[in-house]
Parts: sequence; structure tokens; C-alpha cells
Amino acid sequence: MAKSLQRLRALIYKEMVQILRDQRTLMLFFILPLIELFLFAYAVSLTITHLPTAVVDQSLDTRSRDFINAMVNSGNFDVTLTLQNQQQVIDAIDAGTVKAGVIIPPNFAEDVARGNGQVLILLDGSDSFSVESGYNAASSIAQMFSLQLTAEKIQNSGTSLASSVASGNLPITTTTRVLYNPDIRDMIFILPGLIALIMQIIVVTHSAMAVVREREAGTLEQLLATPARPFERIIAKLVPGMLVAMIDMAVVMAIGVFWFQVPFEGNILVLTALSILFIISSMGLGLVISALSSTQRQAQQLSSIIQLLAMLLTGFIYPRTTMPLWTQIVGDLIPLTYFVRIIRGIMTKGVSLSFLWTDTLALFVYACIALAFAALVTKKRLD
Amino acid sequence: MFQRILAIIQKEFQQVLRDRTTLIIMLTIPLMQLVLFGYAINTNVRHIPTVVADQSMDHASQAYLDDMVNSGYFDIVATVPDQNGVIQAIDDGTARAGIVIPPDFAENVVRGDAQALVLVDGSDLFTSQSANAFATIIGQEHAINIVTQEIDRAGTTATQTTLPALNALVRVLYNPDMKDLWFIIPGMVAMLLQTQALVLTAAAVVRERENGTIEQILVTPIRPIELMVGKIVPYVIIAMLNMFTVVGIGVYWFGVPFQGNFLLYILLAFLYVFSGLGLGLLISSISQNQRQAQQLMMLFMMVSLLLGGFIFPRYTMPPVIQAIGNLFPLTYFVPISRSIFTKGVGFSVVADQVLALVAYIVVVMTLAAITFRNRLD
Repeated sequence: MAKSLQRLRALIYKEMVQILRDQRTLMLFFILPLIELFLFAYAVSLTITHLPTAVVDQSLDTRSRDFINAMVNSGNFDVTLTLQNQQQVIDAIDAGTVKAGVIIPPNFAEDVARGNGQVLILLDGSDSFSVESGYNAASSIAQMFSLQLTAEKIQNSGTSLASSVASGNLPITTTTRVLYNPDIRDMIFILPGLIALIMQIIVVTHSAMAVVREREAGTLEQLLATPARPFERIIAKLVPGMLVAMIDMAVVMAIGVFWFQVPFEGNILVLTALSILFIISSMGLGLVISALSSTQRQAQQLSSIIQLLAMLLTGFIYPRTTMPLWTQIVGDLIPLTYFVRIIRGIMTKGVSLSFLWTDTLALFVYACIALAFAALVTKKRLD
Repeated sequence: MFQRILAIIQKEFQQVLRDRTTLIIMLTIPLMQLVLFGYAINTNVRHIPTVVADQSMDHASQAYLDDMVNSGYFDIVATVPDQNGVIQAIDDGTARAGIVIPPDFAENVVRGDAQALVLVDGSDLFTSQSANAFATIIGQEHAINIVTQEIDRAGTTATQTTLPALNALVRVLYNPDMKDLWFIIPGMVAMLLQTQALVLTAAAVVRERENGTIEQILVTPIRPIELMVGKIVPYVIIAMLNMFTVVGIGVYWFGVPFQGNFLLYILLAFLYVFSGLGLGLLISSISQNQRQAQQLMMLFMMVSLLLGGFIFPRYTMPPVIQAIGNLFPLTYFVPISRSIFTKGVGFSVVADQVLALVAYIVVVMTLAAITFRNRLD
């Protein structure tokens, strides 16, 4: 046992020296997460308001102005262009100068009075986030405006309901409250997933490359000639990668919490303990990659495929509930899937371990299988 | 001169074809993305698992819940007694949304001040967006229906003919059903061409430098510019073939309509590939070894993925971030690709971007040639 510890220490020392000597890669491990964090923070907005909008008002009466005001006041549409007809609006959307257009035909006020007012709202369907926000907002604003007009007109007809509707009150008010993220700030969605993704990228690439590099350099045989056991070598490889990943997690989380004001609701100790489990699982995935590839180049390419799958299928950005079963299963093969739920649960929801035990169990099983597989692979390479 | 270039093209082709794994990976990644976006990814979330706390249990609350369920956005998976039960269910992940209807709903509706509360899981981006937007809209629609019925019942003949006062038509141009794949494919073609151009060229020059074969080439009568052209051609062919595959599968298998002029599209894609190759060569000339080149390239790809307008709209970004995005050719080709592919507009609309691309190629190639020459001394 004492001998084993001694060997382990020597091996860890060797790995640390190796990783510290490769300063450029080390720098990248620390700088890349920061670049990603700041890009996501400042560049990415998933909820779109203030769509640049072109307006064609062929009526120019009070009713048409009211309608345009209702759209602008909702905060979803900014009038950036005033045009003469529908064709010009389509041209402007074609050219990309606006993302939406509102067209109000002549005699709007009279038509509304007669009960057949028409408004046409055009949206740029080539831009996914803009169109979804715009569509919902436009439908809802138009509907409400229409109802208010109706109610206003029949106010004198007597029902008390009509008069309250005219002043903007509906008999049922549906209040929506978004839990954990009441202002729907993108950073609160992104940060936990981003931390998890960064950790997985670093651990997977590091462990995949570390083994293959030794094999390519021919130093693997030298290591095999020493009395170090396969399991000891695996643990030694794991330690430096784990350190780098933990430091990255701490830095990104600190900036997220203190600079971008993303709340941390849960218990940081539980999260730290579970992230070690996650790191071991990711390392297992990295070792599988290293077993499958014979050169560093191949290892890198395979890890970039895994990263692509991780981005798309683990629930980091895109929802897993809408996916068909087979892609959910593919996602289940990546440890990030479990950890995204865990880190969101702890950071954003602030729930305790009792809510997360299925994912924790899954990660634990994953880590065990990963370590067993790694031991098996290294043993095989001995022959 | 052509003979020399041809010789280099032949040599590069052999090198590319010999590296099977790289070739296979280059060809599979775009297909994988296509299939995943085609079948797996759906940002418009329907059938959100929902719990209900109906404390009224009367006809009004039932009608309200029926409208919510019939919309297709909310699937009721459980009923709980109160708001805490709802929050608990969202905390442990069994539901993504919850509807709380307080007691005496029906009476409150008659009085005109009924309240319903919809709680949404805010830790899941697209789910919360859909739930938030559609809960509001469906709730409003339901309320409006009640008002309309009420007015109908009480109303005179005059009011009945005047409903509704306003008919607003919302029309989504180019993509009426708002299908995700229609948004994705034109951007993906842009992303794909840039990635391939970068990956293939970034390694090309450094590898020769690392192996020491670049000196061997330089002592031959081949001029640097001939070397560059010769190196580029095989990769242009591979990248363009891949583009045809993606567009072909997108159009014929997934039914994404190609609205514009295909010839113009190919021509501009061709131009765009050169800008990507230029950037790749620049990376290649700057880096000392393959590892560095690869890391730099990964960084560029990540930044341009986020800033190029492929996924996230550019007009919401602050000017500094937009300026950084301008350093990558992707930023210019995404609007070109969307304009021709999805919108079906002509050259005049994208002339600015095309001009920018030409300028980009000139600048990048010049920079690459200068650094390449400096490196040799």
C-alpha cells in the first residue's frame, strides 16, 4: 500500500511536470473558458425584443397611430423605417434592413368602425430567434388591441364587462412567473451549462491526448517497464486534468456569480463533490477515445465530434424533451447530460441532493464503468 | 506554370486521400449535424409536462384548463393541491410548468377579476420561453372568448355584426411554418464551408514545415503563389462537394425549398471558400506547429460560430462584438446564403457582402503571403 502510494506520487509528479511544461496548451485551458464566457455573456441573446420594424401607415389617423403605439410600447418592436407600400416592406426585409413590417391600409379608422379593419404584419422568417419572439408578440398585441376596440364601441350597450375590457382589463388575468429566472436573463440559463461543457471539453481532450501522446512518443513502453500498475497510471493521469478543470470551474463560476450576477442558490460543497464524479466520468470518455485512436490528430477529431454531440444533445442549449428517443439515448452516453441537470439543479434551482439522486446515481455508474474500461484498455495494451 | 501547379494539386490530393480518418470525419460531421437538426432538435417546445393545482374545480376553471391542454403546448401530468406542490414538482423536474387556479374562479370570472397563475421552470431556456409566451397568449384568448360570448349574449344586433373590430394577419415570410431546419440549413452551409476550408488548409503549410518538406518544395522551381494555388485547389473541390451533399439532402430529403438562383449561389460559395482558405493559410503561416494551428483554428471556429449570425442574431450584439465578428468570412456569407437560399433574392441585395468578401480575400491572402515570406528568412 505504502509502495503503491509512493509510485502514485511519482507518477502524479511526472504528469504535473508534463502539463506545466506545455505552457501554450495550459494557457489555452485557462483562457479559452474565459473567452467563451465573455462571448456568451455579451454576444448571445436568446430572447429578442426591439425588432427593427418598418411601418407603412396608409391611413395616418388616430386608430392607426394607436395600433403602432401599442406595438412600440410592448417593447418588442422598434420602428426604424417608414415606408409607402407593402412591396417596399418586403424589399426591406429582403435586404435585411428590418426584421418585421406593419402595414395598415387606407381608411383604417372607418374600417375599424365598420368592424372589418385589417392589419398585416410581416416577419423575416430566415432568422429563427427573431421570428419566434416577433410572432408571439404581434399576435398577442393585435388580439388585445382588437378586443379593446370592440369593447370600447359597445361600451354604451350596457354590460359592465365591456367597459372594464375597454380600459384594458380582461375577466381573467393570466400571470406567468418564471421560477429561478424571473427576468429571463440569458446568462442564468447559459452559465451552469457552459461551466459543465467547459469542464467536459478540458477533461475529455486532456485525457484522450495524454495517453495517445505517450503512445506516439513511444514513452508508453518505458512506463510499462516500471512497476507502476495500470490503475495507478490512470489515477495519475486523472489528477492534473482534474485540477485544471476544477480551477476553470472556480474561475468561470466566480466571474459568473460576482461579475454577471448569476445567483448561486444551492450548496457549493455538494456541487464540488458531484463535479469530481463528473470529471471521472468524462475522463473515462476521454480514455475510450484514446483507445479508439492511434494518433493525436485522430484523438482530437474524435473529441471534437463528441463535443458537437454534447453541444446539441445534452440539454446544454436545446431542450431534450422534444427529442426523439434515439437521440435522447445517444445523449445519455455523454456524462454532460447528467451533469447539466445536476449543476442547474444546484446552481439555479437551489435544490438538494435528494432531488438529484437519479442523475447522481447515473454518473456514479458511468464513472465505475469508465474506470473499469480504462483499466481493461491499459491492460490490453500491455500485450 | 500550369504544369507545376498541376503537380502540386496531384501531390496534395494524394495526401488528402491517404489520410482516411480525417476525410471520413470531414464528411460525416456535416451529415451528423444535418440529421440531428432535421430530426432531433426542436426549439418550439410543445407538450410541456405540466402540473395543475385547481382549487376551484368549477366549470370556469375546467374550461380554462381545457383551452390550455387543447393548445397542444401543455400536457397535464399530475394534479397537486396547491402552489407549493407545483413548485415542488418543478424543483424535482417531474414538471416544467404548473398552473395554479385559486378558489372561487367562476365567481371571479363573472365579477371580472379572476386570476390564474402559471409557473414556469426558468432553468430550461426554450421550454420556459414557449411556456411563458403561450401561457400568456392562450390565457388571453380564453379571456377574450368569454368577453365575446358575454357581449354576444347581451348585445344588440348592431354589435353582433361588428365582431371582431380588427383582423390582424401575421405572416412569416420565407418560412411560414417556422421550421427550425429552414433556419439552420443556409447557415449550416456557411459554417460547413468555413470549417472545412480552415481545417484543411490550417494544417497544410505547417505540416510541411514540421516535416521539413517545405524546404524541398522551395528548392524546386515552384513559386510561392503557385504553391498556394496548388495547395488550395483540392480542398476547394472537397468543400464544394460537401456543400452539394448538404444542400442536396436538405432540399430533397428534408424538403427545405431553395428559392434563389442556384448558379449564383454556387458562384458566391466558391468565392467564399477562397476567403476561408485564405484565413486558413494565414493561421498556417502564423503557427509554429500543427498543434498550435489546430488550437488557433478551433478558437476561430468557436468565435465565428457565436458571432457570425449563424445561430444568434447579430443586430442584438454590441458594436465591439459585431466588429470582432467582422473578422471572419462566415459573417459575410451567412446573409448571402440566407438571402439566396431562403429569401430567393438576387445579386443586388447581397452586393455589399460580396464586395466585402472580395476585399477580405485580398487582405487575407496578402497577409498570408507576407508572413509566409518572413518566416522563410
